[in-house]
Amino acid sequence: MEALPNATLFGAWISIFLTLCVLSFLYDDNPVYKLAEHLFLGVSIGISITEIWYGVFQPNLTDKLMPGTSVPSWTPAMFLVMAAAVLVVTFADARRRPGEAGEDGLRLGLLALVGLAIVAVLGQMLYGWFQSSVGEPWDRYRALSFFPLVLVAMLFMKLSRKHSWLARVPIAFIVAAYAGVKLTGEANANLMTQVAQTMPDMSASWAEHGLWNWEKDGAGVISDVFVVVGLASCLIYFYFSAPAKGAIAWVSRFGILVLMLSFGASFGYTVMGRISLAIGRAQEMLGLDRPAVEVAQIHPRIASVVSLLIIVALLVVWRRRGGGDVSPEGAAG
Amino acid sequence: MYRFFDRIQHMDRRWIFLGMALAILIPMLFPITFEFKVDERVQALYDSVEEIEPGSTIFLSADFDPASRPELEPFYRANLHHLFRNDVKVVMATLWEFAPPLILPIMEEIAAVHGKEYGTDWAYLGYKPGKELAIKAIGENIPKTFPKDYRETPTTDLPIMRGFKQAKDFAMIVNVSAGFPGTREYVLQIQGQYDLKVASACTAVSGPDYIPFYKAGQLTGLSAGMPGSAQYEKLVFPDGPPEGIRLLATQGINVLNLGHLYVILLILLGNIGYFLTRATDAPSGGKGG
Amino acid sequence: MRSTFPLVLTFLVGMFMIGEFFIPHWRYHVVTAELLEWGLILAAAAFVLGLINLVQVNLPKVIERSTDWQYKSVMLIALFCTLAAGFGGGIERQSAGQAYKWLFDFLFVPLNATMFALLAFYIASAAFRAFRARNLEATLLLGAAILVMVARVPMGENLPLLGDKLPQFMNWIMDVPNIAARRAIFIGAALGAVATGLRVILGIERSHLGAD
Repeated sequence: MEALPNATLFGAWISIFLTLCVLSFLYDDNPVYKLAEHLFLGVSIGISITEIWYGVFQPNLTDKLMPGTSVPSWTPAMFLVMAAAVLVVTFADARRRPGEAGEDGLRLGLLALVGLAIVAVLGQMLYGWFQSSVGEPWDRYRALSFFPLVLVAMLFMKLSRKHSWLARVPIAFIVAAYAGVKLTGEANANLMTQVAQTMPDMSASWAEHGLWNWEKDGAGVISDVFVVVGLASCLIYFYFSAPAKGAIAWVSRFGILVLMLSFGASFGYTVMGRISLAIGRAQEMLGLDRPAVEVAQIHPRIASVVSLLIIVALLVVWRRRGGGDVSPEGAAG
Repeated sequence: MYRFFDRIQHMDRRWIFLGMALAILIPMLFPITFEFKVDERVQALYDSVEEIEPGSTIFLSADFDPASRPELEPFYRANLHHLFRNDVKVVMATLWEFAPPLILPIMEEIAAVHGKEYGTDWAYLGYKPGKELAIKAIGENIPKTFPKDYRETPTTDLPIMRGFKQAKDFAMIVNVSAGFPGTREYVLQIQGQYDLKVASACTAVSGPDYIPFYKAGQLTGLSAGMPGSAQYEKLVFPDGPPEGIRLLATQGINVLNLGHLYVILLILLGNIGYFLTRATDAPSGGKGG
Repeated sequence: MRSTFPLVLTFLVGMFMIGEFFIPHWRYHVVTAELLEWGLILAAAAFVLGLINLVQVNLPKVIERSTDWQYKSVMLIALFCTLAAGFGGGIERQSAGQAYKWLFDFLFVPLNATMFALLAFYIASAAFRAFRARNLEATLLLGAAILVMVARVPMGENLPLLGDKLPQFMNWIMDVPNIAARRAIFIGAALGAVATGLRVILGIERSHLGAD
């Protein structure tokens, strides 16, 4: 196998180092962890926005507004240049007027960015329209996609104190769309189907499993009755509009016990899930997730030890400078 | 004995963290393997994939991120091997923004192993935000929802997509789901409306929530967490993994033995200490954990 | 007008989306498919608003050197570097050798995965400190948890004397009481979702529109 690139070797060591930086939080909240946390925030939001651009804005909006491949798709670079220009202007403005002015300046700058973006998209459309090489069939140019573009612009008016009421229209649209799909989905799948499937076919269950079938994990008539009674008891427990008295109180208590069994099982699965995540990190730090030839080049165990020593040294320096809560109560809590 | 339990009730929690770290590292460095059986739900999932006619096309929604990799990536890999080995074509998309850089290289790697050609045997349509709206849109009209694939080829120009416009046109939907949006939303939004065959691999945390869907027939199979992935790996590779394939869930599942034992020990010690000390102490709970 | 038009729009769009479930005519679905696409675009735009808000909050703090400004500057630099790598890479950004792929594989993956892996340690600490069998309910909860933890791993299927009885009993808990409880929760949640959805669509619930 050919040698791994230096970037990969370096990256693998950085990966292990950052893993231990985050794990240092188990010792105490410390600057090494905070650095890793903020790095994570920045990278994750960058990835989100990039994927959103290529996942939705480009294929479903800008590519439909701007005719085909004859127009260069330099829109992302254009946005970045405009963003940089706006930030420079905002920075200069904030330096001149520190305090509240910083936020106002940024708000104005970002609104200007939104406006420039819309102008740029429209400009590209016109450019493509008049360009002689454009021979796209009409159905590739979707005028209908103007509407979501306008709605997006209205949504960004949320940034303006004076015109934020315009954002109500796209927000109303999104909320209504979600409410509509959620309503039918929940009513059909969670309500009707689940209730229907709870009604057992006793005769079929008796024929196949009898009263109780150990081989099939307790399937049978007893379990079917338990499901119905358990479900009804839980639903009676969830009825809080009147106090539970007498027989209802007993049924309600049975419902609580059924819920506790379920929550206990959930907790068991949750423990399993959480430990699995830690296992994944340990597999990387010990080099168990890579082929042997890669492990021989990366030396993940050495990387883990070296990273651990560096982080311990940094934490010692931090403690000596008075960092963190050193009281036993703070450590125990 | 009383003093011992009183001391450990107030001990620094970092000792507990250290114990957890050892409970994970020791079985990794000195593995002890146990045989494990395959769950009925995982078997049903495997069987439902086996029943797909060779040459059919399925829709794979790979909705997980690096945080859920240990639980779901092994299933995702084994499932791709299973599908390609059975000559099933795969159209993949995702609803999670952190999935694309994770799932695409794996898909390319496994497709190459099986000699599968992009556009004919498999396709990746990309990421779509919008959660329930995206799933609803997948049910309605896939080419409209994904006008282009990740290489910016129009979806309708892909040979694999000819004749496939809606989710119901596919033989099955396989959803590798780390949370929201995921299997629940597929079941709620489109499974019932279009009577789709949906199989799910989910994280352990979601497992208890999706079992009712399986029991109600809304899911054809269910794999939950690392044990589910390990069982599926066992079914797909009954004679062990071929050269170059690592079964990470099978490797990891035996580490769970000691991890779980450790947590059980902590619960028991905590309760014993609680009952022993509460007779003489004021309640000392609520110091956080 | 500022309140009325959004309310009317909420009603029309909401009812249209409800109708999508019941009306199979292809013309109706052409319109709903278009509306769904608009919804996807707007949902994505909301993400971008979040980004703008993040820069709006943190950039002044960096400029004015307020608390933790160093960390915030690291965050903003990482954000812009990732955006530059992503947009610079284009459709090839996820290929091997690309800066975006490197940032994802060696920065994002370990950080994201380890943030969640911390939970394994905290759940152990919580199990020790907080889970007490104070009463019958808590005892049942702990008992079910311990049973699942033992039976769900390979060791639990190979115990002497018990054999695979524990996994069988665990499967019973998952297939019977768990189903009863979850279905009750789903039914309750579904009723709540239907009620809330109707309240929003009919304009009774207006909090999403903000104050007048």
